[in-house]
Amino acid sequence: MTYIGATPVRRRIPVVRYMPGIGAIWLREVKRALRDRGQLIGGFSRPLLWVLIMGIGLNPYFRGEVYGEVRFVVPYTYVQFIFPAIIMLNIMYTSVQSAVSMIWDREFGFLREVLVSPLPRWAVLLGKILGGATIATGHGCLVILLARFANVPLSPGDVVVGIAFMFLAAFGLTALGIVIANRVRTFQGFGVFANAVILPLYFTSSSVFPLDPALTRAQTAVLYPEWLVLLVRANPLTYAVDSLRGIFIDFNQFDPSLGPLVAFCMAGGFFLVALWDFRKP
Amino acid sequence: MTKEQSTDAGGIRVRGLSKQYGRVKALDNVDLDVRAGDVFALLGPNGAGKTTLLHILCTILRPDRADEVTVAGHDAIRHSLRAREAIGVVFQEPSLDDRLTLRENLEFHGMVYEVPRSLRRRRMDELLELVDLVERRDDLVRKLSSGMKRRLEIARALLHDPRILFLDEPTVGLDAQSRERIWRYLEELRASRDLTIVVTTHYIDEVKGCDQVCIIDHGRILAEGTPDDLRGRFGTETVRVTPTDIAAAEAIRETYPTATSGRGDTLLIPITDAAMKAEFLRRCGIHVRDLAFETPSLESVFLSLTGHDIRDSEADARDVTLAFGRQGGELTR
Repeated sequence: MTYIGATPVRRRIPVVRYMPGIGAIWLREVKRALRDRGQLIGGFSRPLLWVLIMGIGLNPYFRGEVYGEVRFVVPYTYVQFIFPAIIMLNIMYTSVQSAVSMIWDREFGFLREVLVSPLPRWAVLLGKILGGATIATGHGCLVILLARFANVPLSPGDVVVGIAFMFLAAFGLTALGIVIANRVRTFQGFGVFANAVILPLYFTSSSVFPLDPALTRAQTAVLYPEWLVLLVRANPLTYAVDSLRGIFIDFNQFDPSLGPLVAFCMAGGFFLVALWDFRKP
Repeated sequence: MTKEQSTDAGGIRVRGLSKQYGRVKALDNVDLDVRAGDVFALLGPNGAGKTTLLHILCTILRPDRADEVTVAGHDAIRHSLRAREAIGVVFQEPSLDDRLTLRENLEFHGMVYEVPRSLRRRRMDELLELVDLVERRDDLVRKLSSGMKRRLEIARALLHDPRILFLDEPTVGLDAQSRERIWRYLEELRASRDLTIVVTTHYIDEVKGCDQVCIIDHGRILAEGTPDDLRGRFGTETVRVTPTDIAAAEAIRETYPTATSGRGDTLLIPITDAAMKAEFLRRCGIHVRDLAFETPSLESVFLSLTGHDIRDSEADARDVTLAFGRQGGELTR
């Protein structure tokens, strides 16, 4: 056997230096996801159900309803209204589920291979979250394919901005998934916990019903109980869904600058929490 | 002088290392020196502290107290990332991604360890050849047998050309043929490159070909030296007898209080001189169904150092399961 000489001297700047390693972790996540048929089927069937059944089914009941003095002024059909929220739902499911790979790695030993490598922990985590976020954004894009059926006209520019924002949101949600995975270390526990986080977050993000911006606070209180309004306003996802609406159907219920800000804080915040957990042995 | 020797690029030097789990001392003030280029064996029963020591040397576990832990010339505690670049590790539990192919697993490792692409490709081919897995390179890892997986892990650990290769119980759970094969690869590696190999095991027959053997039990290092050296210093001739029945065993124990129980229902009695041998036969011959005189062996070294046979130590759950599976256990099929 011939002996091949030592590895050459390495680059010095950390982010450039660890790029191949981060890339390797990212690539592995993506490959595994593409080979997981179940996840792909789920990623396609979920939005199909929401658009075709929930969306089209509720469409006729959405407009022109009058509650006493109050009348909706959302100038969109129900399918158009929930379309951006369905994108977010698909991203949420995939992001949070992709954190399962963290539990998988811990259980089946692969994490050791990474932990004993010369990659620093932050690079390992970054690779994992970027991988999860990429898959989730991909699943979000599956929903965009349904835009025609939801009567949402899209310009190429909207799609590009939309995907960038989806990636940012997916990053934060994947980091959240990993934070959960670090606390719940079994598959079963994670399933229960993930559902307990995803669905409430989704339903209270003003995804399936509007908080009409034209209404005053008092008028809103006529329509919805106070606690629900508070929940919706406290839910960070509300602002992410709102941003996606702004991008895809030009409809904002809140200040348009809030969405990117909240998504950015989520991404940074959950990444730091995940990193903190990961540092502990 | 000695410091330079042991802390050079391929060696290990440990001083005053302790690690505690709760109230159990996993490692108690351990000193260790491994010379570059040696095949170094850590021998001890399950739970002796071998794996803990190995994990600390691999920098994935922090010791409670240590005066010095130098691995391949780097401080393993303060500069762990640099130490990691110089070592390759094969853990006791498989750490492959079984949803990727063999090649993808190696590719991943090469990227993470910053091996440039062309070099990575060349080494992958060469190492797959070394472990006889070239034909399987595009198969998913989950289709491999456990022996093949272990071989692939050895190939992977060498992909970044480490100075030290750590193997934690590389042959546990493998059949005799695979075990023999793995040791053959290790021999080949030692002959062909500048590599230090540190291996933990609880199979005594495996350490006979090693350069240095370190016997460890209850977190303490009991002896260290070449196999011959250990045999000379601590080995005693023993007689291994199978008593005819329990009463006979009692009688033997009464006459020779130094007797200890070995594997199965055998008794081991250390023989101090030739006269004792004859006397033993005269006094206890009738109590014995079967007997064998054993010349100083590493087994007897281990026995005299720890006071028990290495095989006595309870098999771990994994071993039990694997043994059960080999017998055709219903739950494993």
